[in-house]
Amino acid sequence: MTIKEKGYAHWDGEFLDKKLPWWPITRYGIKLTFRKKFFKLFFPMSLLPAVVFLAGIYVSERLEDFKFLFRDSVPILQIDPAYFKTYLTEGFLLFIMVIAVIFCGSGLISDDLKHNSLQLYFSRPLKKRDYFLGKTAVIVFFLFLLTLVPGLVFFIMKMIFAGSFKFFLSYPWLPLSVIAYSVLVTAFFSFYALFISSLNKNRRYVAILIFGIYVGSDILREIFYDIFHNHYFSLLSIRGNIQQVGAAIFDQKTPYPIHWILSLLVLTAICVLAWFVLKKKVRGVEIVK
Amino acid sequence: MNPVIETQHLSKWYGNVLGLSDVTLEIEPGITGILGPNGAGKSTFLKLITGQIKPNIGTCSIKGKKIWNNFSLFSLIGFCPEQDAFFDELTGWQFVTGLLRLHHYSPSEAETKARKALEIVELVEDKDRVIKSYSRGMRQRLKFAQAIAHDPEIIVLDEPLNGLDPLGRRKIIRLIKSYKGEGRTIMVSSHVLPEIEAMTKRIILIHQGKIFAQGDIHYIRDLIETHPHIISIKCSDPRLLASNFIQEDFILNVKFSSAENTLLVETNNRDKFFSLIPALSVKKNIEVEEITSPDDNLQAVFDYLVGK
Amino acid sequence: MAQNSKGKLSFFLISLKDVYAFFFFMGKKSKKLKLFFLISIIPVVIALIIKINQFFSDRTPIQGIYIFNNMTVVMYLQFLILLLALFYGTSVCSEEVEGKTLTYLTSRPVSKSALLIGKYAAYTTLIIILTIIGVTLSFFIMNLNDLLNFSLYKILLRDVVVLSLGLICYTSFFTFIGTIMKKSILFGLIFGFGWENVIQYFPGSTQRFAIAHYLKSLLPAPKTGRFSFLMFRLEPSSPLLAIFMILLITGFFLGLACLLFSWKEYIFED
Repeated sequence: MTIKEKGYAHWDGEFLDKKLPWWPITRYGIKLTFRKKFFKLFFPMSLLPAVVFLAGIYVSERLEDFKFLFRDSVPILQIDPAYFKTYLTEGFLLFIMVIAVIFCGSGLISDDLKHNSLQLYFSRPLKKRDYFLGKTAVIVFFLFLLTLVPGLVFFIMKMIFAGSFKFFLSYPWLPLSVIAYSVLVTAFFSFYALFISSLNKNRRYVAILIFGIYVGSDILREIFYDIFHNHYFSLLSIRGNIQQVGAAIFDQKTPYPIHWILSLLVLTAICVLAWFVLKKKVRGVEIVK
Repeated sequence: MNPVIETQHLSKWYGNVLGLSDVTLEIEPGITGILGPNGAGKSTFLKLITGQIKPNIGTCSIKGKKIWNNFSLFSLIGFCPEQDAFFDELTGWQFVTGLLRLHHYSPSEAETKARKALEIVELVEDKDRVIKSYSRGMRQRLKFAQAIAHDPEIIVLDEPLNGLDPLGRRKIIRLIKSYKGEGRTIMVSSHVLPEIEAMTKRIILIHQGKIFAQGDIHYIRDLIETHPHIISIKCSDPRLLASNFIQEDFILNVKFSSAENTLLVETNNRDKFFSLIPALSVKKNIEVEEITSPDDNLQAVFDYLVGK
Repeated sequence: MAQNSKGKLSFFLISLKDVYAFFFFMGKKSKKLKLFFLISIIPVVIALIIKINQFFSDRTPIQGIYIFNNMTVVMYLQFLILLLALFYGTSVCSEEVEGKTLTYLTSRPVSKSALLIGKYAAYTTLIIILTIIGVTLSFFIMNLNDLLNFSLYKILLRDVVVLSLGLICYTSFFTFIGTIMKKSILFGLIFGFGWENVIQYFPGSTQRFAIAHYLKSLLPAPKTGRFSFLMFRLEPSSPLLAIFMILLITGFFLGLACLLFSWKEYIFED
């Protein structure tokens, strides 16, 4: 009997690079996060500070109407870069961001390691870069909803409530500051979360590490400062560094009397370390020693 | 013989999904095979009789005592679960001895029994390696080892041959058969009929959470034998082949398929049919390219049986 | 009947012992313990840095015991023991369910209560050991010049006992949380670092709804100045009441966890 060709379908077309090959990863990650019951309760509440600050912007334009609420000394609600900086770099918002990152980011890589899914990803026409982009975009989505979107909404609503472009003309660089700060803090938390998520297959353990390192760094700063009275110890605190850089971006006085570039360098160093570890940890084949 | 395991109207729901419905059974000592397609309820049934989950309706008892939360009965039971899950940071040895210690054996007793069990499954050489580094087959054998290590009277095996190579399968099948002579009660689940067939004649067929056949395997086999098989043949001259087929009494139907040069033959005797094809092919000089059996699967048998 | 109960009790204790030994061994081997050990050593590193700085500094050094006392409160009581208890407490049940290894345990002739309590006891022992090592090393480093002052060892003992009680109590609470909730970590974080921190600043009886209140009641209030904000508005309970409440809370949540664990069935996710 002659051996006949099996007749595979030979395709004569061109291979086209798919635009946004990482998008399905992001879409799925966002969907998965929204499926969590606790998150559905948490996320609307996390937008409360934004609502309060937006209300403040409204009140600032209607101070005369609300005068009856205050006594003789009417606090003048000044909407300026400091107001934006207060919202975006406030410890409470950073805490909410850490919780949001735990929800959406703790399982991003650890679940893939647990279920051995990395081989499934990398046996597709997907580069490591696309994998990281897809995972990062999940965190970026949620953190932008807490930082960039409210920041820009405040800016736009201020002009709408004021009925003029005066605010924009006074601070034309403010939207850029909001964007720059949002990108910085989101990029940092993305690297931070993905790095810790790649360290272990257990999502609970990762969640504890994400939270523990963030809070622990602050406690370390407090202890060292109280003993040595040296402001350079604020470089130990993740929150402190973010607040330093944030203040500088909004052209405000920094919380600690040290140069903000040092804080930026610390944050960058953490991101670089995270990148190196991620490159090593995320690969198609697990090597068991 | 007194039944060892008894269930009365056993039913289990997972939310709105029916896992098992109204199962009343008596299992006697010996090997009983539980056969069913994926999602039929085999694992649910085995988990119920080993007390891992509790029934919504009905009762399940072992030696006359209810199993749910009755941990004293577990010294009689060895359970090999379906899921591939372990304490990955332990070695095989630590895993088996650790679980034996939970049976309250002394350290030396546990070591003796663990060694024996690992010898049976041929994992002694790899006993000091971490489970994380084991292959799929080794992990399956380790699961089996922990189920038999404490010499249980009742052994419940949920798909024990998954992930094993043919040699491994034969060894485990031989081992299971050896237990029959010792008076133990063994329940084995699978979705592969020949596997069950190699171990026992006593079968329970589960489908969609219900028991719809129970008894000797030959009875089930006979049903399959009388169930007409459809075989697809791609050849150089289907019409010539068809003309020869219709002369045989075990050929029930011959149809020309829409695919080119393909014949669909319905027969109630696969063995005779398959011995006919080479003879015809040579005699009539017909080139046979491809032979497939579109309904040669358990699902088709079940569909047929359910329909019957 | 009495003999029957005696027999059941001794069987329960034997099961407890076997489960404890199994999980103590497993916990000791795990990589996570090594990482938590490194984390619990951080105060020792801080103590070393402070001590080395004091050697080279011209300034009058702050008393070692003063720094030790306050570091104990800040680092251990309000942070480390919470983290350790949260992870290990929730792991008692969640680890077996998520890892699908619960079947191996519940198919042994061991009661579910013995499984839960045995594993809880094993994990609590491990984290108490971790904490004691860190606290003791920090103590010795900070009081290097004063080691022959035996009255200081009473302070070490007191702090070790308070932290151990804290671990026992928090771990039992988180064990209960891990038994009833799938996503126990986030609830635990909000409880441990939200509720426990915030509620203490409320006056009156509201403080008594926090475990930290009873633990801090066993420690002396710091004098005004540094660190006093940590005890701000603390209206301490008597030490006897505090110990009683800690043990009561431990027993209550452990008992509840046992009941739930025995009654509940755990379906593994595919």
